[in-house]
Amino acid sequence: MLGVDVGGTFTDVVSVRDGRIEVTKVASDPADPAAPVLAGARRLGLDGATVFNHASTMGLNAVITRTLPKVAFLTTEGHRDILDRGRIWRPPARQSDTSWRRSFGDVARPLVPRYLRRGISERLLADGSLRLPLDEEQARGQLGVLKRCEVEGVAVCLLNAYVDPVHELQLRELVQETLGGDVAVSISSETSPLAKEYARASTTVVDVFMKLIFTGYAHALDEGLREAGFAGELNFADCAATLLPWDEALEKPFRIVFAGPAAGTRSGAHLGEALGDRNLVCCDVGGTSTDVSLVVDGAPFVDNTFELEHDLVINALSTEISSVGAGGGSIVSISHSGDVVVGPGSAGSDPGPACYGRGGARPTVTDAALLMGILDPDAFAGGALRLDELRAHEAFESLDTPLAFEERVGFAFRIAAANIAEEVTNVILRRGGDPRDFTLLAYGAAGPMLLPAALDLLHVRRVVVPPHPGNFSALGLLSSDLVYYDSRSAYVPLFPESAPRIEAVFEEMERGLSRRAGREGEVRRSFDGRLFGQSWETPFVQVPDGPIDVAVLVERFHETYERRYGNRFPYIPVQGVSYRVELRVPSEKIGFAPCEPGGVAAPPRTIELRHFGAEPIEAAEYERSALPAGARVAGPAVIREGLATTLVAPGQTAEVGSLGELVIEAAA
Amino acid sequence: MTHTFPRPGERHLSVERRSVAGACPECGAEQLAEYRVLGDGGWFDVRKCQACLASVSREPAPPFGSYLPLGLRIAREQRT
Repeated sequence: MLGVDVGGTFTDVVSVRDGRIEVTKVASDPADPAAPVLAGARRLGLDGATVFNHASTMGLNAVITRTLPKVAFLTTEGHRDILDRGRIWRPPARQSDTSWRRSFGDVARPLVPRYLRRGISERLLADGSLRLPLDEEQARGQLGVLKRCEVEGVAVCLLNAYVDPVHELQLRELVQETLGGDVAVSISSETSPLAKEYARASTTVVDVFMKLIFTGYAHALDEGLREAGFAGELNFADCAATLLPWDEALEKPFRIVFAGPAAGTRSGAHLGEALGDRNLVCCDVGGTSTDVSLVVDGAPFVDNTFELEHDLVINALSTEISSVGAGGGSIVSISHSGDVVVGPGSAGSDPGPACYGRGGARPTVTDAALLMGILDPDAFAGGALRLDELRAHEAFESLDTPLAFEERVGFAFRIAAANIAEEVTNVILRRGGDPRDFTLLAYGAAGPMLLPAALDLLHVRRVVVPPHPGNFSALGLLSSDLVYYDSRSAYVPLFPESAPRIEAVFEEMERGLSRRAGREGEVRRSFDGRLFGQSWETPFVQVPDGPIDVAVLVERFHETYERRYGNRFPYIPVQGVSYRVELRVPSEKIGFAPCEPGGVAAPPRTIELRHFGAEPIEAAEYERSALPAGARVAGPAVIREGLATTLVAPGQTAEVGSLGELVIEAAA
Repeated sequence: MTHTFPRPGERHLSVERRSVAGACPECGAEQLAEYRVLGDGGWFDVRKCQACLASVSREPAPPFGSYLPLGLRIAREQRT
């Protein structure tokens, strides 16, 4: 099995063969993105590989940096500015900022410039009835302008097209007739046939961009892999880190625009299942930021929409991930009032922390960990980089503060841990959870080092450091199922006589999914509903198997509503809005090898940890691979492995679990 | 009471669009025109293609557009 995560700077390729994990890193090449993927795959070997699972942030980076192909947007006449208008939501950070205002026109760097947004004379009403037929002559005139402008793709989103696609289908034919068959076209009634035109429009626009970005790339990748001897399945990961065959992904490529970050959560859910731990808060601590996400009742917490940037909404299932600017590279500074501040600025990988010796002069969390004795200067990143303690020392000395040196270092480390603890607590509470019901999964290169230090702040049950914490996110690409899904909108009151109509909507989607998948799988139905009078939906109300029983749907809605919001209004009628079907096909996944049990290992050596208190303390230092299952380590201790270092703080114990995971708890 | 501008005589008000030489970089049409527009960011002097409406240039115009407040007019006259 191989998994590849294409980032903006590096392409990580991970291979699992006979339980052995190998990783390689290749510099990404925006001019030829398939080349580094193929180079990495050849380096690790493709012989006998059955799956090649792919995630990429190429699409996301293209949208954020606006390095996009020339695309036009066609909509009902008079509505071309819906892409500027969005949902009229203010950014959360600007709620009380009276000077903030939404930019209109080309000032806001829209995905489609205004002159390429064209109105088409037509109108269907919300019940699907015809108000104004599509004016073909007028449409041809608009398309003539787009032809002269040499657009590469066209996104079509007409009002109420989710009820009846007739005008969008007619317009697509005109587009292909006028602009040629090579122009990429996405129509909203196929891309995302859901109510609410803005989200439908923005999703359709992103879809056509992704078609242009990924189509050539995916074909080149598939051909390259076949030439290199790969005979298995090439799958793309979506925004919830579930997989879909590459040719299926190209049918609706908006689903793969934000693949990658969710893989760690998927990996966490997979490990949690193996450990029998169903409630996890997953913490991926990298160099710049910490990504926090939840696994509840064994499944990642998934939302039905997400934002690529403020108010740029995509109608795709996505794992909800919250980020905070705290990581190993977070810069330590002194505020105007004299406080030690950690992040959100980061030294990144270049120049990196001062101790990297690459020109960075500002102190970071990694510098603090080095000065505290947690990091081994000779064994950082598997020995790939020698850390310079003198430069780290100079960086902390340079801070303009009357605090003593040991206070600067100790405070920086503790504040970094506290920042992450605050975000973890917020994420759990925001979803109505109680931290005491959750296990904290610490991964990413800096997670095992920082998060145990926050255990007493978090009130979680325990901290678990998984096997291979440095590569844990990439392993998520090898921990997922193939999932085909489809969704439709239909405003239907949940009364007994509505059952046949709801059944018909589900059956139509299921027939389509079976045809696309061409294989058997587990079918899951759900719907988004609302109380009469509400303008927003409660998503993911699970629909039981068997014929539709509206009374059961209504009860399920009230249960879901109460679980999410804490209230129940059984006397208000319920309206179904969107209906969703998932066809889940089990895929080959990575297995976590059992760890051999053994006796308590003696620490190979003792080291000195500094700045935890007034005096240095002695700590045991272990090599993780030498610890058998059942081994207990009392803090203070440091457990080292290739790409990560785990800190067991004073007053904590770590026990090696049956799968090699480290379970860290406060000592009784 | 004195008006600071004469009552318009036309039935519909419109901005005078001055044709300028050159081709549109987006669609190639030689139909560029310069005129003043009011957007959410205020008044702008723009040069736009009249075939596809792509903006070729967009420069901030005076904050009140073509209207010169009486106070500013008097101040300007006193300076000169």
